[in-house]
Amino acid sequence: MDTVSSLHQAQELLIPYTVVATHPSPDRLDIVLRTRNLLPAVQALQAAQWGYLSAITGLDHPGFDPTEAKSQPVEEKKWDRLADPYIQNVGVFSTPHLETLYHFCQGAAILTLRVKVPRTKPVLPSLCPLIPYATLYERELVEMMGFEVNGASSGERFILPEDWPDGVYPLRKDFESLESQASSGGSS
Amino acid sequence: MEPAAKSGKFSIPIGPQHPALKEPGHFEFSLEGEIVTSATARLGYVHRGIEKACENRTWIQNLYLLERICGICSHIHALAYALGVEKLAGVTAPPRAQAIRTLVAEMERIHSHLLWLGVAAHEAGFDTLFMYSWRDRETVMDLLEGLCGSRVHYSANTLGGVKCDVSPRHSEAIHRGVDFLEGRTRYYMDVVTHDETLLGRTRGVGTMSLDQAVALGAIGTTARASGLARDIRVEAPYAAYPDFPVRISLETTGDLLARFLVRLNELLETYRLIRLIVDHLPEGELQARIPRRIPEGEAISRVEAPRGELFYFLRSSGSDKPDRIKVRTPSICNWSSVLVTAIGHKLADMPMLLAGIDPCFSCSDRSVRIHKKDGEVEQWSWEILRQYGIDYYR
Repeated sequence: MDTVSSLHQAQELLIPYTVVATHPSPDRLDIVLRTRNLLPAVQALQAAQWGYLSAITGLDHPGFDPTEAKSQPVEEKKWDRLADPYIQNVGVFSTPHLETLYHFCQGAAILTLRVKVPRTKPVLPSLCPLIPYATLYERELVEMMGFEVNGASSGERFILPEDWPDGVYPLRKDFESLESQASSGGSS
Repeated sequence: MEPAAKSGKFSIPIGPQHPALKEPGHFEFSLEGEIVTSATARLGYVHRGIEKACENRTWIQNLYLLERICGICSHIHALAYALGVEKLAGVTAPPRAQAIRTLVAEMERIHSHLLWLGVAAHEAGFDTLFMYSWRDRETVMDLLEGLCGSRVHYSANTLGGVKCDVSPRHSEAIHRGVDFLEGRTRYYMDVVTHDETLLGRTRGVGTMSLDQAVALGAIGTTARASGLARDIRVEAPYAAYPDFPVRISLETTGDLLARFLVRLNELLETYRLIRLIVDHLPEGELQARIPRRIPEGEAISRVEAPRGELFYFLRSSGSDKPDRIKVRTPSICNWSSVLVTAIGHKLADMPMLLAGIDPCFSCSDRSVRIHKKDGEVEQWSWEILRQYGIDYYR
């Protein structure tokens, strides 16, 4: 199956769950989903045997420019502008939020399922019941970005050292170093 | 090691430092007698926070940082990144640059597969094969050093092209090296398929069926040994692969023997490809201009590293530094396959099984030896090397 028809098939499969679909490049299809539709969407892909889960990317949209004063929300900064077309369609999350990108690949076709969750309560369902090997990627999301993935984490550290402080997530935009973290009194 | 009294199970921790694998990974196997009943992994001992570090460096600085993710497949990281940045910037590297990138990537595959062959043989207790294959690997290391100036971190790439060119003298040396390696590889193929002792450690061991490979998300040579035709060079050709197509190397049995065969066959295919590229190098420029600030957007770059699909996600907010870089290395995909196929095997098979997916050792260290024309060899310390670099670019 060629790339165009692969992506077309994926788009058809996911129509019931799609909030907005875009083609960032000819070999890619990005679909924004609501969190509750994530598992049904992945199930639909699996039922049609569409591709495989290649990677999961976590993104932090802190709603402020981390180079400026911390935790002062700045309106219309570059972080928002990038995510703007999605935000309008999803409606709820202007700032700040975390985003998860589930990249599925079939041949040269790349399908990305995008899910947004609030930064204060970043809860995601686990893909493990459907894709058991997703656990390694999800544990990375949990430790590095501070997502709460229901049912993914075994509670033990996977990547970070045992003595790493709880509640500090190194890939969040407001994390600079453990020293600065200690002086400012923890993550936002 | 603590015996759990009630169930009669033993829990054996292996690593992070252990004599079997030269990589800091921790595995915990539960045993009933000799048989493994469950396996878990704990990684991160060499986690250096490179994704985070990328956000504080410029696009060009990151090229050098990302190349240092791995000391075996260094070029392929730089290549995946450069291709991604070029996508974002709307720049395409010239054809000659793409061909040289592909050439270096295939030479890197030779060194990586020969290294793996040695490690796997060593895990099987076949140290003669280990030493032979590592001796032969020096051939391709020397070729890479001659071409790019370095054995490990070749730095062949730059954003928009490559930094080294292939001269007629290089191509002659490459032909000679590849001819020698092809003969050696055919010999190893004979050894691997006929040596009864080695076959005892590989045939029917760690078998992963096609269905399992699909369910576990296996990629690269691990997947291809189970008959799952996943090869980014074939599925989504990048760099010069559209002009120099690759024939995929597949086996169906899915055991350790199949993983040997897939890699050795892939080596033979790589030799063919290298000869073809060297003989048909397009003429022209080596670099295209690329802006310092990369336009806003997101790009995904996928390449076939020696261990399988390497996945890069790049996001730019329009500045001279990236907003986010996500790297998914091939080994992480293949860990699940080990943890599942381990169950039901003997503990003594574990080093071989772990080595079977060719897990990536992420660090390497090397001092520089200067071979002077008069045959004298001089060892450079880090300080001298650093000062040399400063003076050179002053």
